[in-house]
Amino acid sequence: MTIEGTYNIAAPQETVWQHLMSPESLARALPGCERLEPAPDGSFQAVLKIGIGAVKGTYHGRIELADVIPPESYRMKVEGKGAGGFVKGEGTLNLSENGQGGTTIQYSGEAQVGGLIASVGQRLVQATARQVVNQFFQALVHQM
Amino acid sequence: MIPEAFEYHCPTTLEEAWQAMAETGEDGKIVAGGHSLIPMMKLRLASPKYLIDIGRIEELRNIREEDGGIEIGALATHHQIEASDLLKLLCPLLPETASEIGDVQVRNMGTIGGSLAHADPAADWPAAILALEAEIEARSAHGARWIKAADYFVDLMTTALEPDEILTRIRVPAVHAHTGQAYLKLHHPASGYAMVGVAVCLTLAESGVVAKLAVGLTGAGAKAVRAVAVEEVLSGKTPKDSRLNEAAAVATQGMELNGDLYASAEYRGHLARVYTRRALAKALERARGTA
Repeated sequence: MTIEGTYNIAAPQETVWQHLMSPESLARALPGCERLEPAPDGSFQAVLKIGIGAVKGTYHGRIELADVIPPESYRMKVEGKGAGGFVKGEGTLNLSENGQGGTTIQYSGEAQVGGLIASVGQRLVQATARQVVNQFFQALVHQM
Repeated sequence: MIPEAFEYHCPTTLEEAWQAMAETGEDGKIVAGGHSLIPMMKLRLASPKYLIDIGRIEELRNIREEDGGIEIGALATHHQIEASDLLKLLCPLLPETASEIGDVQVRNMGTIGGSLAHADPAADWPAAILALEAEIEARSAHGARWIKAADYFVDLMTTALEPDEILTRIRVPAVHAHTGQAYLKLHHPASGYAMVGVAVCLTLAESGVVAKLAVGLTGAGAKAVRAVAVEEVLSGKTPKDSRLNEAAAVATQGMELNGDLYASAEYRGHLARVYTRRALAKALERARGTA
């Protein structure tokens, strides 16, 4: 499954970058994030409680950042699993000035979803991913 | 295919239902006909600890004429709507939509309120409700409010209902003269859900131009939407064939389309345009009284 899109934020690139690199900001912006902690190897351990309609689940995951080029881009690797299945993905985020004092975030990635959700809820997976990403950016903007 | 254990509540009044909701909080889930929620529970996609069955609250079951419109209780089954002489006369889009839902067993048990509260992105009712510019009543222990269809569907399986509210009634206007309605869908061969479904409500002026048009589109994106671009192309214009083509071509404008194993986003977009064209033609025939 491909997840890609752009999001415009009316804040300077440097500010957006700092929020995207700050575990506290990320924890507040990730929908249903109950915990986001740095691990000794530089990655983050996360616990997310995702609920869409009647479908609710707690997911434990690991987020790793690579190729970090401040304040422009990084690669992100995500692995997570819960009662509903597992997700594994990798993607990039690119930040650029949009010319009006704001910042454009371009994201694109590939994710594999397996287990129960993928086998019986396949038609909902992509829309769910999109909703989580949108909620994340909205919550991030809210903090700026 | 066996759900996790849950505790079952069956209130007989709204007051008892609200109380049960307050006591169980986010671990509780309301069930009406159970034809969206129970399959999800059997697949263990959903595992509520408490089920609050509102199926015994009789006052939510009626369909009646009220102030030039029709009020439909949330517990009206798809079959009840399909068979309603009142609706066939005053709002034929609803019986037509009901007849396209699932199979006989689903229609005998499933309810319009349950389907709307669940807000599956491929359910049939949302398209019709949007095309009719219906209103949805939400009641809590603290009062009642009417929500416009356009404000009701928020996102994937997410509605404007608050956690303490129960969807109690749906209000639709009776059809005007020179109005044609149509619901067309492509059934998913396994689930019966809409690959895409298009509901049209079209009114012609005396002069033959389109006086009013509302188009509801379900199955294509994360939630059902009004196909506003289609409406804009035709409103106030003579509905020639070429213009219907032009309108149908913009059916998915501005939408993020769903793709899954069965149908890619591109294919869904194509289906949405084809079915919009057909639904427009059918509604137009009916508005002209030639169908």
